[in-house]
Amino acid sequence: MVTTSTTPAASAAQRGPQRLGLIAAVVLIAVSIALPFVPPFTGQDWQRYLVGAALIAASAVAFDFTAGYIDIVNFGFAAFMGLGGYTSAILVNTYGISPWLGFPLGALTAGILGLLTGLLTLRLRGIYAAVMTWFVALALLGLARNLTDVTRGPLGLAVSPLLATNDNLPYYYVMLGILIATLVVLTLVIRSRVGLAFRAIGQNLQAARASGINPTVFLVANFTISCAFAGVFGVFYAHYYGILTPDVMGTSHTIEILAIAYIGGRGSLWGPAVIAFPMYIAVQLLKVQLSSQPALYLVIYGLLLILVMLYRPDGAAGVIRSLGHRLDRRPKSGAGPAGASATPTPGATA
Amino acid sequence: MLKLKGVESGYDLLQVLWDVELEVDEGEFVAILGPNGAGKTTTLRTIAGYVRALKGSIEFNGKSIVGLEPHRVSRLGIGYVSESSNLFAGMSIHENLLVGAYTVKNKQLIASQVDLVFELFPRLHERRNQLAGTLSGGERKMLAIARGLMPSPSLLLVDEPSLGLAPIPTLAAFEALKQLSQRGTTILLVEQNVNTTLHLVDRAYVLEQGKVVLEGTGPQLLSNKDVQEAYLGI
Amino acid sequence: MTTATATNLKQVPLLRRYLNLTSAILVVAAAAMIVVSIQNPSLLVNTLATGGMWALMAGGLALVFGVMNIPSFVHGDLFMVGTLVALFVFTPIQSMIQDAPNDFVLKWLGPFAGMILAFILGAVIGVLMELLLFRQLRRRSREQWVMNTFLLTAGLSIMFENVAMMAFGNLPQGISRYWDVPPIDVLGVPVAMDRLVTFIVAMGTLAVFALFLQRSRTGRAMRAVSMDETGAQMAGIGLTRIYQLTLALSCGLAALAGAVLIWLTPFTPTVGASPLLIAWYVVILAGLGNVQGAVVGAFLVAMVQQLTGYYLALNWVDVLPTGIIILVLLFKPSGLFGSEVKGVWEQ
Ligand SMILES: Nc1ncnc2c1ncn2[C@@H]1O[C@H](COP(=O)(O)OP(=O)(O)OP(=O)(O)O)[C@@H](O)[C@H]1O
Ligand SMILES: [Mg+2]
Repeated sequence: MVTTSTTPAASAAQRGPQRLGLIAAVVLIAVSIALPFVPPFTGQDWQRYLVGAALIAASAVAFDFTAGYIDIVNFGFAAFMGLGGYTSAILVNTYGISPWLGFPLGALTAGILGLLTGLLTLRLRGIYAAVMTWFVALALLGLARNLTDVTRGPLGLAVSPLLATNDNLPYYYVMLGILIATLVVLTLVIRSRVGLAFRAIGQNLQAARASGINPTVFLVANFTISCAFAGVFGVFYAHYYGILTPDVMGTSHTIEILAIAYIGGRGSLWGPAVIAFPMYIAVQLLKVQLSSQPALYLVIYGLLLILVMLYRPDGAAGVIRSLGHRLDRRPKSGAGPAGASATPTPGATA
Repeated sequence: MLKLKGVESGYDLLQVLWDVELEVDEGEFVAILGPNGAGKTTTLRTIAGYVRALKGSIEFNGKSIVGLEPHRVSRLGIGYVSESSNLFAGMSIHENLLVGAYTVKNKQLIASQVDLVFELFPRLHERRNQLAGTLSGGERKMLAIARGLMPSPSLLLVDEPSLGLAPIPTLAAFEALKQLSQRGTTILLVEQNVNTTLHLVDRAYVLEQGKVVLEGTGPQLLSNKDVQEAYLGI
Repeated sequence: MTTATATNLKQVPLLRRYLNLTSAILVVAAAAMIVVSIQNPSLLVNTLATGGMWALMAGGLALVFGVMNIPSFVHGDLFMVGTLVALFVFTPIQSMIQDAPNDFVLKWLGPFAGMILAFILGAVIGVLMELLLFRQLRRRSREQWVMNTFLLTAGLSIMFENVAMMAFGNLPQGISRYWDVPPIDVLGVPVAMDRLVTFIVAMGTLAVFALFLQRSRTGRAMRAVSMDETGAQMAGIGLTRIYQLTLALSCGLAALAGAVLIWLTPFTPTVGASPLLIAWYVVILAGLGNVQGAVVGAFLVAMVQQLTGYYLALNWVDVLPTGIIILVLLFKPSGLFGSEVKGVWEQ
């Protein structure tokens, strides 16, 4: 999305890239709106991939909001999603409330658990939070499996749909709306004074503390916000797929989100969103092609994650950004539109 | 023994040393003096291999040591006692000394070296089983020097042994260095305590903003106008 | 908790220092164990056998964190590699034993071949990990090292598990027992030979591990690096070698645990998930990077697991420890044995 000033290193003086980024964002949004009408995306299968891609894109963005800015890995992200999903599913099933009401309620429960986890672990070293969120996730998973009266355990809980249609297209636009809203809200937070504090803390906790910032407050706030968003996505997941099993909370689901977030580029928000579409769709196609090797795509995720960590810590966003800078610098006039249409291609085609 | 020629060095964004020339002969006791931030610590860290020289040569006994990893420099016989001591807080004094003697394979030699440093610092001997993390500031400095002495280095780099110490422990530390020097160890000392240091050492360099601005024997510098004005408050 | 006190015997200061919540918990745990083991001795046997193996896992995990600041997520996969090695080495040995049932050397010592090879292979993988991953990352940047290495090991873990799945499938493959002999009578309680050997191997390895860290020149150097890298370099200790040794030792121990425990946990691609989780429980409970505390904590967690499994139900085994850890973190944020003086093996 709105780009360059979210780079820690970027300076306000870089007007050019900023405008470039804005144009790129507008183009990308237009492309994502028009995409379902371009073959092969007109088919229901492909539109289902698009919904899944938008969902994982939003998840990766909210994940990046903590991982990329305060350097805390929420290793239980999927479990917070699952908590939101189960909350909404159970309330809708039991009390017959509208699934739309599930969104704030799912956000609330996931946010509250995030707040408690954050309060407990975020005053300790960052790794405590990563590991504790993992523990909490496994405990939630255990609860979802064992409390069969409420969740039906591994059998899965049938959930009423969000929309009165089987068509994937409306779901896609709902999820795309959620994705764009997530990006806009989180980008605004990051660009505010609060976001400045996040970045200061993420880069150097001690220095931030010395300059009078109370890190715990900001850390907990950031973590809670991200978890609440996870809850929202979980609600969509539940009411879109129509069935919830405890597996949605599993570590491998978190790792999928995490891999996309880091491959997309930490600390950019838009990077994970842009990379999620081609990656998720490629993985789905791979799964269909190589149904005899269902584990292969995870090997690829693992390998990509390792390569990114080692050689390109700023991920795809970093690559795109440096391309953008280069394009912006070369032709003195008319750089805007030409550069913009070239910049987003890696994300838009696929 | 140690020869720095045209050494430039510094950190990622900041060059600290500019064309530093410095020489220490076998058996000499030499000091580097200068104001805060002049680059004294950086000089020692560059010699010891913690900071890489960007330019120039550093020779020890005729061989270049530029680019060697710190532990390699240490194994050549250059002991380094840092400003912050870098003790092993969770180990006893005795164990700190044993780690100091890591490169010594001969057990008897280690034992006799332990006896020697305990003789030099009786206070450490009294507390040899106390954890280094619970020692007082003065005791820490003593232990840091003692640990640096364990492999019997031929050259000892000592960074501000008086830092944070009251006058009496400072004198004790200087006394220990003097004894060491008299026993034949070559010492390169960094100090802020100009007056005492100049009375103690054979020669000294004055470093300002990363450049050597003055050089001379102790008495020479003590009688130098600039030194008197800038450092002795005369 | 006989082993816990045995480890602490020499360290009276340690006991005195923690004569509060920690020792209260240890005393309660010991009491609970005594009561339970009178009722049901097999619980005690299981606690000691599995606790010993968790101690090897957790000890290695704590060591890598203490020395290299790497919170390893791939530790469980070395356990998995260990089960694989045991499987492939012991299966032919087993048929050799069947062919020559009177060859006592083969029968009694044969099973150890897989365990030893597992340790060696684990160690080799550890060294490779240092060479191919951590050294590269260290060269690039040490910024955000802890999180980056965590993610690196997470990526590695996905690869290990899914490559194993592609190569060996999803189904459990195990060895029902290493020693086909009747149970042995230990103080009136019949104990299966495998359980007994598991316990003995665990205790023996832990003793060697502890002696190595405390008394040997290299072990001391490892602890020195964990406390102050610069200080260690001043003493002429090369960090690279210590890093390699640390990873070799830690990964070797995890693989050894997998090989020894295969009678209990047959190979599947994700067999390491639970040991990894337990090792992390222990390490968080004991305080990050504290190997000694991790060893004690491993027996505590093994006991909680056995008690939960026995009195509640097996599927709560993973839920309850989280509750306990949350309580511990509330009252003692740095873990039961954490203190201001940080080190791999506190005195
Ligand atoms: N790790 C570092 N990274 C960046 N700059 C550094 C680093 N260490 C020191 N500096 C800078 O290098 C300059 C010289 O520092 P140095 O420690 O060598 O001074 P010094 O002469 O030892 O001073 P003092 O008497 O205060 O110990 C200072 O400006 C300092 O801020
Ligand atoms: Mg200094």
